[in-house]
Amino acid sequence: MRARDLAEPFPVVTDRMDALEATRILTDQALPGLVVLDEQGAPLVVLAASEVLRFAIPDYIEEDPALAAVIPEDEADQLCRQLAGHTVAALMPALDQGRRRPVVDANATVMQIASVMSEQRSPVVAVTDGDEVLGVITVHRLLGVLLP
Amino acid sequence: MIVTAALPSVLPSVLAVAGSTTESGTSSPEGWAVGLSIAVFVGAYVLIAGEWVHRVKVSLGGAALMLLIGSATSQTAFFSEETGIDWNVIFLLLGMMVVVGITKETGLFEYIAIWSAKRARGRPYRVMVLLCLLTAVASALLDNVTTVLLFAPVTILVCSRIRVRPEPFLIAEAMASNIGGTATLIGDPPNLIIASRSGLSFNDFLVNLAPLIVILLVVFTVLIRFLFRSAFRPVTVAAATEPAADGASGSSGSSGSDSLAGSGGPASGVGTATATAAVSTEAEVMKLDERQAIRDVRLMRRCLVVLGLILLGFMLRSVTGLEPSVVALLGAGLLIVWSGSGPREFLAEVEWETLVFFAGLFVMVGSLVNIGVIDWLGEHATEAVGSHYLIAVTALLIGSAVLSGVVDNIPFVATMAPLVQGLAAQAGGAQAHALWWALALGADLGGNATAVGASANVVVIGIAARQGYPISFWRFTRYGLVVTAITVAISWPYLWIRYFLLG
Repeated sequence: MRARDLAEPFPVVTDRMDALEATRILTDQALPGLVVLDEQGAPLVVLAASEVLRFAIPDYIEEDPALAAVIPEDEADQLCRQLAGHTVAALMPALDQGRRRPVVDANATVMQIASVMSEQRSPVVAVTDGDEVLGVITVHRLLGVLLP
Repeated sequence: MIVTAALPSVLPSVLAVAGSTTESGTSSPEGWAVGLSIAVFVGAYVLIAGEWVHRVKVSLGGAALMLLIGSATSQTAFFSEETGIDWNVIFLLLGMMVVVGITKETGLFEYIAIWSAKRARGRPYRVMVLLCLLTAVASALLDNVTTVLLFAPVTILVCSRIRVRPEPFLIAEAMASNIGGTATLIGDPPNLIIASRSGLSFNDFLVNLAPLIVILLVVFTVLIRFLFRSAFRPVTVAAATEPAADGASGSSGSSGSDSLAGSGGPASGVGTATATAAVSTEAEVMKLDERQAIRDVRLMRRCLVVLGLILLGFMLRSVTGLEPSVVALLGAGLLIVWSGSGPREFLAEVEWETLVFFAGLFVMVGSLVNIGVIDWLGEHATEAVGSHYLIAVTALLIGSAVLSGVVDNIPFVATMAPLVQGLAAQAGGAQAHALWWALALGADLGGNATAVGASANVVVIGIAARQGYPISFWRFTRYGLVVTAITVAISWPYLWIRYFLLG
């Protein structure tokens, strides 16, 4: 089994898209993450759902998680307001962190796919054939076909 | 100051001294070894000051070279109180790091910080004063870096609630931490080294330095009213998010630290805060529930008990005969057993880098003591000073302050301590004390002078930058120079009156 056989269609999200809108796609389709494409349609980065949360949380809470508890409930409920007015680009982790993109070649075996997912801790990988993105493979899909 | 300034001229004479002693048949090292050791030491100093190479690498590399040259041996480096690693300093640091590591997980510090911001009713100046005083008191008992690490995130939270920019608050806290840390034996690493060299006790520090620090803190709280006067005006929410918007494009999600403060609506297009906003910022602070910050009440009580016991142990040294290092280790042990935390947890906060840096540094300075360079310098310093101890105290205070602003104050004090020891032995009495206090005050308060003067400054600037509030070197230094000049200017008459007029 190769990556091209497992690739599923995916919603197109670009780095210019509104952050709230992109997050809504994530929740509506119950995706574990989004493949963000650049202008040319090349995969830029795979944005895990948890990374969207990281953006919505104030930095001081990331620095000191104990502070999460002191925020009153009604304000905590408004967490996603933070996303308003930002583009997907703002949500993306810095690309210069030497982090490799979770992308696999169309010919990759499941072992390769699993290895990329595990190493990059990414719940979803993009499948590419040259410059073209064929689709995505989620961790659920992969495990689903692999389970004996 | 004396060390670096005098070294070039020292070299030939030290070589001569060493040469003559070798001829006379003692086991002193060869002249070339003395020259090389001094070169290694000066080189290491320059590298640490210039920050071209990581300071841990420099101190270990320097120590390794000293051992290779033969100016230190395993005997002198590991087992000698005079010329080796000061295990009292290392283990005191280790013990306190373990205690702090367990305590900080309880949420105690967040609780106190928010509680005090609420007592200040969200008024910016009062909040700044209370946070600074808290930082100062905490720094007197804990490591300065730990203290600012604990208070910086909660400070940014509070600032976002009261809609002021957090940078001035963070700068003021770093300074309060350096001032507060000066008050006790355990407050600042230079004090640990001084205590170990001089034999001065925890109580000596408390009785001699703490009163001055109280005065300095009072002056500081008045001073910040003027230094940071522009910081107390509420800013528009849009302006407050401004740096965050820059950061969002590049760094990892460093945006909108004060988003929740603006929960009334999206951040854009909010007008200037007015009198009504002042009322609402108070409400914003009052809405925080500090009790929620405490994760484990039982553990928190135990931590407080152990911290209390450790302090008691420090103060009762003359009764119990236990060294501060032993007290800290016993306290850490008690807390480990009592909290039931595993090695991974209680060792998590131990900064091995710092401990190793100290070890290397002690070996390097110890080598100079071992080969007689420090003695030689000490003799000359003693000669030069004669009986003019007030001049020596003044020079130490101001010289240490100036140098500590530029160089890491830990290697500086490690080098100066054996020198001052010689001077103090000669002076005796109150004036011997004054020399030590001048070194401590100069080195600790001098740390405020520049953005790189003290580790606390560097750490605060680092956190601020990560959170999207970059503080430039000069911005910090502009305030730092004023605070250092004023605090040192007040310290001098204190030393003069207390140890020369009255002593």
